Amino acid sequence: MAQEASSSTSSKTISLKTGDGEIFEIEASAAKQMKTVQRLIDDLGDDITIPLHNVFSKELPKIIEYYKKDITGEITKDFEAEFVKDLNDDEVKVLFLAANYLDANKLFEFLSQNIADRLESKSVEYVRKYFGVENDFTPEEESKLREERAWSFRGIKEDE
Amino acid sequence: MEKETRYLPHELIIQILLRLPVKSLIRFKCVSKSWFSLISHPNFGNSHFQLSATQTRRILCIPNSPTKILSIDFESSLNNDFIDFESSLLNNDFALLNPNFSLVSLQIKGSCRGFICLRGSSNLYLWNPSTGVHRQIPLSPFDYELKDYYFGHLYGFGYDQSRDDYLVVSMSCDPTYDSNSSHLEFFSLRDNTWKEIEGTQFPYMNASSHPYPKVGPLFNGAIHWLARRCDLQVYVIVAFDLMERKLFEMPFPDDDNIPTHCDLWVFGEFLSILANDYNNNMIEIWVMKEYKVHSSWTKTLVLPAFHSFDLIYSTKNGDFIGVEGFLGLVKYNDKGKWLGYCSYHRNPRVSQEVMYTESLLSLPGDDDQI
Repeated sequence: MAQEASSSTSSKTISLKTGDGEIFEIEASAAKQMKTVQRLIDDLGDDITIPLHNVFSKELPKIIEYYKKDITGEITKDFEAEFVKDLNDDEVKVLFLAANYLDANKLFEFLSQNIADRLESKSVEYVRKYFGVENDFTPEEESKLREERAWSFRGIKEDE
Repeated sequence: MEKETRYLPHELIIQILLRLPVKSLIRFKCVSKSWFSLISHPNFGNSHFQLSATQTRRILCIPNSPTKILSIDFESSLNNDFIDFESSLLNNDFALLNPNFSLVSLQIKGSCRGFICLRGSSNLYLWNPSTGVHRQIPLSPFDYELKDYYFGHLYGFGYDQSRDDYLVVSMSCDPTYDSNSSHLEFFSLRDNTWKEIEGTQFPYMNASSHPYPKVGPLFNGAIHWLARRCDLQVYVIVAFDLMERKLFEMPFPDDDNIPTHCDLWVFGEFLSILANDYNNNMIEIWVMKEYKVHSSWTKTLVLPAFHSFDLIYSTKNGDFIGVEGFLGLVKYNDKGKWLGYCSYHRNPRVSQEVMYTESLLSLPGDDDQI
């Protein structure tokens, strides 16, 4: 494999293949922002299609869209709000996991905060379901805990 | 290719939890035993506190015949929008300490990193209203002795970040002032004991206009008080540096026209004096533009006020909240424009209010509360 001077990568694109077999293109400078991808490029070279086993065709385009904006312009609050506007809580979670896998720090931080914002006023039951956590308190224990911190339940709807 | 609930690994859940406000985290302690332990852990509380870009601030009120302690969200629009904190939780925290405990004698002495320092009739208490964590501390040796003079007594509470320690500071001065009767003491939570600072004389008495000596504001790593020098009969500002553990003095503004009823506060980014001119129903706000520089005292704002006005808290950009007479909490912007109010049953002669930050922090040595 010919080793090119890869410092001038401004117009070079990288091919990424998702876990469900679809291929997407991304600019090399955007790929740099995803450390997992960059490591794979370093190992495999930038002419090969990079396999991403844990990212799927539903998420990757959205991630690419984020980093495209990152390298061309500033990511504004408005852009970020728009970016997640039509995503439900589970879709954001999947994106968050993908950002983690790709080691895409900026997106990861943004999505962490977005999930926190979505969960802020949610009920205990919702949070358990969302994270797949089992309730291991007895009914008596739980009701005592709730009573002790009743103020934190004010204004929270118990069912979702 | 259908995915069920994607389980998040523990480290990722923590990344999300660290970004939630305290109220949500307190509620989510009920999710499971492991979440309870995680959120209660001192390391989590510390990380959360460090990370929090915008910490939620609330106002704690002991309104009048104190059967209640109230807590109000500072950011809520205040148009008589009500208090969303049950008093029962708070009473329970204190009932734990002492079955004979009475709220009647409670005085607020300071607020720092989510902890409020309260003086009861026979003990001091540090209390985090968000978590319920509390610690009982003995009164200072000279407070106990000079009980009759305790309205002149100065107390302060702060954090020494060089040692990750909390200090309660006590200054007492016999009003008849003779050279051996002033004492400066501090209680370090880590050392768990009162120590007296020997040497210099500390002829300072509380000069605050309020019936209860006012909370000494924290600024620049020091607790500040408005005091009166018993020997020279003048007003000064006296401050205790929490890292150096030393007292220093700063002069009052040089203006014969300053109304006599004053309080010391942090206004925006400056140390400031709020003076109540009862004769003209006005309040004046003075700021020290350059810390410790006497000549930098500047009068910046004059506002009309119906009754006594006490400043509780101001944000960095200069919005401020105070209490006005019987009205309750009032909020102004940095130009002195009225933004709203929240009234509650308040007796201006005895009610006390303080701002506190919601935090999940623990106190050093916090395995069991006393």
